[in-house]
Amino acid sequence: MTLAILCRRAFSDLRQNFCAQLITTMVVSLSILIFAFFTLLYFNLQHFVDRFGAELGLVVFLSEDTPKDRIPSLYQKLTGLSEVEKVTYISSEEAFGRLEKFLKDEKEVLEGVDPRFLPPSFEIQVNRAMFQLKRIKQLAGEINKWPEVSKVQFGQEWIDRLYIFSGLVRTIVAITGLLLLFTAAFVVTNTIKLTVYARQEELKIIRLVGATNIFIQGPFLVEAFLQGLMGSSLALGVVFACFRFFQGIEAKSELLRGVNICFIPWQYTVAIIASSVLLCVLGTALAMRRSLRL
Amino acid sequence: MISIESSIILLKDVSKKYSTDNVVFSGIDLEIEKGEFVFLTGPSGAGKSTMLRILFCAERPTSGEVWVDGVTLSSLSNAQVPYLRRKIGVIFQDFKLLSNYTIFDNVALSLEVIGLGKKQAEQRVMQMLEGVGLAGKTSHYPLQLSGGEQQRVAIARAVVNRPSIILADEPTGNLDLQRTEEVIMLMEELNARGATIIFATHDDRLFENTHRRVIRLFNGRIRI
Repeated sequence: MTLAILCRRAFSDLRQNFCAQLITTMVVSLSILIFAFFTLLYFNLQHFVDRFGAELGLVVFLSEDTPKDRIPSLYQKLTGLSEVEKVTYISSEEAFGRLEKFLKDEKEVLEGVDPRFLPPSFEIQVNRAMFQLKRIKQLAGEINKWPEVSKVQFGQEWIDRLYIFSGLVRTIVAITGLLLLFTAAFVVTNTIKLTVYARQEELKIIRLVGATNIFIQGPFLVEAFLQGLMGSSLALGVVFACFRFFQGIEAKSELLRGVNICFIPWQYTVAIIASSVLLCVLGTALAMRRSLRL
Repeated sequence: MISIESSIILLKDVSKKYSTDNVVFSGIDLEIEKGEFVFLTGPSGAGKSTMLRILFCAERPTSGEVWVDGVTLSSLSNAQVPYLRRKIGVIFQDFKLLSNYTIFDNVALSLEVIGLGKKQAEQRVMQMLEGVGLAGKTSHYPLQLSGGEQQRVAIARAVVNRPSIILADEPTGNLDLQRTEEVIMLMEELNARGATIIFATHDDRLFENTHRRVIRLFNGRIRI
């Protein structure tokens, strides 16, 4: 039994049962399409949370009585931390200037206020590659213990909420994926069962002339492989087209500029295609178990 | 005295029952020698088809031992069955042709399963179809042929891979007298080339004037 004979029989079956094959491929494609959309949503949310968290950074407020000559050594200490990408020193006067700029026309409320009433601070930009909320919290706690530091601030609440939300989306994606996987497996298995049932007599005759199980099952497995491959590729192609469409909208829109939507990482794309193929092949093998008995 | 050495088919104390009150046959001892042409006869329901089904492993006997071409069937695993079937050509009353395959493809199927090369297979199928007088109808579909022609295709498919044993289960049951004679002649030819043939039929006329051995199944027992 050569692979050439197996493939030739598979393609001949594909031609003869084109409609049933097309329906199975479409079911696989639709299931993967829904799952891939959720996955795309999840990865973009995760990407946003990571970016947002990294951009928020840390603000280290110093005590008012911190001597000016301690600033360079504190700066050195902060830049030496592996999680830190960039450190900017903001003096009390600079902070006051920012506040004035922020208040714009209402800056007169600051009249008579001492320009040094705001504490000096360091603005820390976190290394994106090393960004992890847990580590940032730990880092903030460590810096807070330094005697010159009065307070360390970062958007913990925001990041916490975003992380909870992204965790929720991840759970939804996982549950949806699992449900869709079962649905697709059920439909694929039953479509193949129907095909096998319709061709029961044919399979009986083929078995009678001395066909081995691989000769009988082989073409069905090749068809399943193609269905899984084509169904998932088609679905991912549609998702990619939608992604490019959103990218176009993002580039044109002032409001969305900088959102930087991302596509599903290639490792996951390969995993989705592989799972789809595996699902179809296993579903077929399972559906054919009965018809392979003598 | 029956022996495994000289016989191509050997049954020793073989019984087949589907339930306690549905016994097809029991205590069957039978020996068929290599190159023999035997008729297996008996009334409908006597177990002729069941016996043939046991010989090509479509069913297992309830008890007893069966040897086919030196192989003990009880020791044969499911995975080994196809290889035994390649030594056996089976012909049915209802032809069992694949209606969506052409005549050529129906016959070529037996060679495809053994993995014969395309060119060699083509040559052998054409030779076979010429032999049964259907060389001009290779691209026809079974339903475009008469009953006799369909049976000749079925015979061609059964013997194209040169099996040593041919099991024919009422192969003339659906044919008129002239077509029946054609089939019998084809069988005689195959037997003359060395194939062992078991021809199951309930039609006594087919073996009335023959010198061939007739095995009669009656009430679950063999009557010679």
